[in-house]
Amino acid sequence: MRRTFKFEAVIFASLLLCSGAGIAQESHVGNLTGNARRGKALYQRYCIFCHGPQGDGQGESAPYLDPKPRDFTKAVFKCRSTPSGTLPLDSDLYNTISRGVHASGMPSWKPLLKQERTDLVAYIKTFSPLFTEEKPGMPIVIPPEPPDTAESIQRGAGLFQSMNCWSCHGKDGRGHGPSAATLTDSKGYPITPFDFTSGSRFKCGETNQDMFRDLETGLDGSPMPSFADAMTADQRWDVVHYIRTLNLHNSSKKNSKLKAVMKAQ
Amino acid sequence: MKLKSVFVLVVIVVLAVCVALFPRGAGAADANASIKGVVKFEGAAPKLTRIDMSQDPACAKGHSSPPTSEEVVVGGSGGLANVVVYVSDGLTAHDFQVPQQPAVLEQKGCQYKPHVLALQAGQKLDVINSDETTHNIHPIPNNNREWNMTQPHGMHLEQTFAREEVSILVKCNVHPWMRGYIAVFKHPYFAVSDKNGDFELKNLPPGTYTITAWQEKLGTKTQKVTVGAGEGKTVEFSFK
Amino acid sequence: MNLSRISMQLLTLGILLAGAGSAYGIPAFARKYGLPCSACHEAWPMLNNFGQTFKDNGYQLGNDRDAPIYQDPGYWPIMFRTTPLWHRESNNRQAIDKVPGDPSSGLVESSVTTSGFDEGGIDAITAGTLYNNISFFIQPFFGNNNVTLAQAWARFDNVLGSHWLNVKMGRFELDEPISQERMLTLNNTGGLYYNYFFTPQGDDNFFQGIGFPQLGVEVLGRSDDDSTRYSVAVVTNSNGQSGLPSSNRYDLYANFNQSFEAPWFGRQQVGVYGFFGESPTYFLTSNGNPIPGTGQGNRGFYRMGAYGHWYVNKLDFYTFYLHGQDNVFLGNSVGSNHPELLPAGAVSPRWNGGFVEGHYNPTPRWIVLGKYELTRMSRQANPGIRDNAGNLDTWTVGYRWYPIMSPRAGLAWTQEFSRVTNAGAAPLSGRDDSRSSFLMGFDFDF
Repeated sequence: MRRTFKFEAVIFASLLLCSGAGIAQESHVGNLTGNARRGKALYQRYCIFCHGPQGDGQGESAPYLDPKPRDFTKAVFKCRSTPSGTLPLDSDLYNTISRGVHASGMPSWKPLLKQERTDLVAYIKTFSPLFTEEKPGMPIVIPPEPPDTAESIQRGAGLFQSMNCWSCHGKDGRGHGPSAATLTDSKGYPITPFDFTSGSRFKCGETNQDMFRDLETGLDGSPMPSFADAMTADQRWDVVHYIRTLNLHNSSKKNSKLKAVMKAQ
Repeated sequence: MKLKSVFVLVVIVVLAVCVALFPRGAGAADANASIKGVVKFEGAAPKLTRIDMSQDPACAKGHSSPPTSEEVVVGGSGGLANVVVYVSDGLTAHDFQVPQQPAVLEQKGCQYKPHVLALQAGQKLDVINSDETTHNIHPIPNNNREWNMTQPHGMHLEQTFAREEVSILVKCNVHPWMRGYIAVFKHPYFAVSDKNGDFELKNLPPGTYTITAWQEKLGTKTQKVTVGAGEGKTVEFSFK
Repeated sequence: MNLSRISMQLLTLGILLAGAGSAYGIPAFARKYGLPCSACHEAWPMLNNFGQTFKDNGYQLGNDRDAPIYQDPGYWPIMFRTTPLWHRESNNRQAIDKVPGDPSSGLVESSVTTSGFDEGGIDAITAGTLYNNISFFIQPFFGNNNVTLAQAWARFDNVLGSHWLNVKMGRFELDEPISQERMLTLNNTGGLYYNYFFTPQGDDNFFQGIGFPQLGVEVLGRSDDDSTRYSVAVVTNSNGQSGLPSSNRYDLYANFNQSFEAPWFGRQQVGVYGFFGESPTYFLTSNGNPIPGTGQGNRGFYRMGAYGHWYVNKLDFYTFYLHGQDNVFLGNSVGSNHPELLPAGAVSPRWNGGFVEGHYNPTPRWIVLGKYELTRMSRQANPGIRDNAGNLDTWTVGYRWYPIMSPRAGLAWTQEFSRVTNAGAAPLSGRDDSRSSFLMGFDFDF
């Protein structure tokens, strides 16, 4: 008799616990577990003046920043390894904090301890109820990069045209395409497409793998869409190879590849 | 052992009572009232600006004459099109079946067809690209997940919206003139007025309802309507 | 050291709050980046690791707001700091005339107390980047009825694209184990690092301590996250005085530290440092007057030791140890050209010293601190010097509260109490001489 009641009590207790009442948000990055309470103290020291006390990007410094600080309450993030429209992984947020964001006011927070950055991720997730209601998207898999051949670059050039990349990024990749002047981010602030001639200071990382990932996940909150279904993985690599040739600061070795492509065309 | 089976019996009884007390909504035998009507625009129809689609020849190709913007579309007899009319208050049921049929949004001539689409939360949205160019579909919701997908000609795209929202702006960043709206509802009592401004909300259970009409530029208007079982009522909305 | 035994006595004259060097947080940087003071400062002026990395990187965050060309033309990389305060100083054993105004009445030892409103001088600092990876720092100080140039240097950062090579030149604060330019205390009694300025009794060494800005070249290198750092400075042996007043020799300073992350506790840092140099013991003269810059008879000295910075969540501690030695000629103020003038039993003086400073920093707006420091001569320069001459013990307690800390400016309220006891230094009785100081005031940083 006693055993039966205990069974029911255990079920009841587990249901209560699972309801999420009073559970602090946690984050997991590598083998570290982050705690939102510790993250809150860190947030108030480092983040609050740009991202705001409510995490809505309305900090005291926000009116003087362009691009604006991220609004965490919307749970929409540019730099993810998950499909467009889904929540990022904890490690995505951790990487953004560590790397910083080029061409913005977000510095690299690498001098903070790994544990501190993990705690911050846990606290940031408390700003939006979506993090408790939904799971992050399935992380994409980045396949090995095929060789950077002239054929790949040529195919990439063709895709740059047919996928309408040029309408925002411009035919030469300078970011002055015909639609560029009309672009706004999802908050309505003007936003400019990346100027590929300027180098590799992309917002979400500088490597080819980062570029591939950006093409597949899109940069949510901005006009940059996901090409997950529009192109195959090989085609995305072709576009990456082509984009690399647009960089005017490339070494001569890299530029000779571009010359080969131009000749072939 | 005996106590466990008593517990199970109690659970079954409670469930049965719940089912009895809370109606399942759509499909119930006495839900055949309807509210229909027309949305009118007062005054002269506003002049709509012409859209310059020369940026993409594939877009201009689909139009014999340059198309106009679709912000305020007034029909021949003063009917206002693309108004979302829906029940905003008064429903007692809470669970509604999600239709199996997908709602379809087509990109044709580099415009969204329909310009305003209404569907149920959880209902599949099929997006079709009939143009010989690549679009991206970028809904910018406040209460739903934002996503942004590139869609070349012929690619199939399917998405859903999980929460009610009136309405979500849909943009194409490649073709900046493209604007559409998607209204998402938990219940099936909504309609979008056609080119004459006509709409009909069908299969309503009897009751007193607040009906709201939403237009993308002109705002919202509400009215209260009471319908009995099987009754059909007519209402009119007027925007300026 | 009993707090309840506080007796207010007079501070010895002539020491204004500016003497040991100033301390600052730089709101100009907060304005440039939109970050709050607390991002770089544990509690300003004390730096946290993020701020130290920013400084080591040449005041560059690595995002686009670094470059001067992106700045609003209305932005000036300049800050001002002033500290109006009220303080009370007392000295328990000072020699005063028995009858004021009458030197023939004889001296007696008495306690002397002064108090009132005062100011700590004005720091004006302009610092930042001239260009990508070229940074600068200019710090004039207005105080003591004078304007002095505390620091003025330029630096090539990340030479050859590497964090391991940064070259600074000019007049600069050494890469001190624990920065006394960014100390949390304002008072001049226990609120400075005595070990950074200590010279034994009877010693006339040109070099006066690692706390003084020096003139020279510094090479600093660090790992990407600033966990490993080294710095080596070669400075002219004039103790930072310009005009080449000393002898044509160079001193060497080196500092190395390593930090690591201890689970549950936080960042811990350990380091070693050393200052090695030579100072002149006599000068060429003209009509008996020494000619500046012609120092002769250079003799060696060193200061070296180890230190640590320990974190236990919101508590952190500095621990510091110093061992110093000056050559026998320096220690006895005798030119090496007259060894016969050395007193019998003359040796090179040696001493040890150190401090422990603890902070409790519950939020960025509060810090409570306590420090205990001591020096002990282990060997006096000659038997004629009292064994404990120069030994001192000092402690400080205090707190700072930061009601305003915006990306534009900052305001702090501070109260400090400190006491320093110099062994056997009372002028008449030879007993210990104690000075205590109570200070409170505002710290305005714009």
